[in-house]
Amino acid sequence: MTLLRAQVSAARPRRRASFARIERPLIGVLAVAAFLAAWQIVGSREIIRSDLISYPSEIVATFIEMSRSGELGANVTVTLIEFVEGFIPACLFGVAAGLALALSRRLRYLVAPLFAALYSAPMIAFVPVIVVWFGVGRESKITMVFLAAVIPIIINTAAGVNEVSEAWIRAVRAFGAGRRQIIAKAILPGAFPAVMAGIRLGIGRSIVSLVAAEMYVSIFGIGRLIQVYSNSGKAAPIFVLVGIISTFGLVCVNALRTLEARLAPWRGGR
Amino acid sequence: MSHLVVDGLRLLYEQGAGGEDFLALDDVNFAIGDGEFVTIVGPSGCGKSTLLMLIAALLRPSAGSIRLNGRAVATPGWDRALVFQDFALLPWRTVLKNVELGLELKGVAPSARQEIARRHLQMVGLRAFERHFPHQLSGGMRQRVGIARALSVEPEILLMDEPFGALDAQIRQVMGSELLRIWERDRKTILFVTHDIDEAIYLADRVIVMSASPGRVVREIRIALERPRRLEIRNRPDFTAYRQEIWDLLEEQVRSSGSWEEADDAASRAG
Repeated sequence: MTLLRAQVSAARPRRRASFARIERPLIGVLAVAAFLAAWQIVGSREIIRSDLISYPSEIVATFIEMSRSGELGANVTVTLIEFVEGFIPACLFGVAAGLALALSRRLRYLVAPLFAALYSAPMIAFVPVIVVWFGVGRESKITMVFLAAVIPIIINTAAGVNEVSEAWIRAVRAFGAGRRQIIAKAILPGAFPAVMAGIRLGIGRSIVSLVAAEMYVSIFGIGRLIQVYSNSGKAAPIFVLVGIISTFGLVCVNALRTLEARLAPWRGGR
Repeated sequence: MSHLVVDGLRLLYEQGAGGEDFLALDDVNFAIGDGEFVTIVGPSGCGKSTLLMLIAALLRPSAGSIRLNGRAVATPGWDRALVFQDFALLPWRTVLKNVELGLELKGVAPSARQEIARRHLQMVGLRAFERHFPHQLSGGMRQRVGIARALSVEPEILLMDEPFGALDAQIRQVMGSELLRIWERDRKTILFVTHDIDEAIYLADRVIVMSASPGRVVREIRIALERPRRLEIRNRPDFTAYRQEIWDLLEEQVRSSGSWEEADDAASRAG
């Protein structure tokens, strides 16, 4: 009798826990579905002018049409290549510069105020100057990506290096490690999570700067397409393009999260 | 033959303009024989941990010399392996990789490293945990990893800086007898710093008693208790006599230098 009751009460929390597991995604999916349905009705019935707000089925149709014509593929490729060519060097240079900055007090005194100023400045404001320096070609946009990404990477790497526990350095040093080995075995792995946080920040900032630069001066790219379609008076292509940009950002950030969980599983608890 | 010789060691922290200089250690002399287990006991702030850092060459003395097997100690190296109170494990490395750290820095070939590390994990009873990360282990297990890491490089001397100080009283006693069990196997020379008088007597062939501000050796006491030792030995009259002798020394010099608190102040000022 008591045994039976014990089993019943043990089963109940388990059922509740399994519901909790699906509850969050369920509510999320329902909310999105409801929003899309409402948008579809309001837009397609012209309750609000559809050229202003468009609606989901029109956006999907526009996406398919733009893909078929090849316009989307060509421009996305241009933007993607510009992004990669600016971002990879920003990661490499940013980590090296952040490390140097954290390890050299004099260097820090020299450039810290400059970086603090650059970090809070909107990169978009630099577009005219960069165009004057590098012309209207892809070099300008690669430079924009680099500059927008490199500053948060430098700042986060330097902060991460400064927070590396004295105990880790002591452990490595006690075995007779030289400066290089201390950096390789204690400082860089210890700063890794902070470096990744900087790279994640850099992704967001450089996507914004790249699209803005393309809108300002370009013949190709997603930003250029946004510029073109903004004169057409139609909302649907803009939603398509914005959707592509945010999907790209989401994919990058999630890929980094996965990579970080793989490379730094110790972050789970300390 | 003496193995480690510490001669006229002095460490002065210079505070610069305005601040007071602090003499952490003054004229510290002692020698340790090959295979001897020596403990250093003293109040907080007597510079006993500082002394260990000097022997590890993580700090530079203001005067005096340290010789290991006749060679002057100048730079850190795996010939003096440290075990730290805070364990100092690398959280991004597995248990096995943590033990391999010293071997990497010693320049042991990758193929040999794993085998050596596994053998030492076996010795401290953690072979089954080699794929765990430090944060998944208890304090006592973490320090076993610390001990395996230090022993794996086959140092000439093991330097232990209050290694069980962060552990609960019961775990502490168990770890002490574990350490003795491991030590009995190869009789590695050990210099072990503690502020726990019972721990100091239980482990040692010889106890070095230090005074605070400045840190000095006040007496060396040979512990004539037979080995292997069991935990119950702590209740024997000869053990309690040692305890009384050390306690009298410490009480006397703590009184003469002020108080335990004042000694702590001095230690924190020294950083």
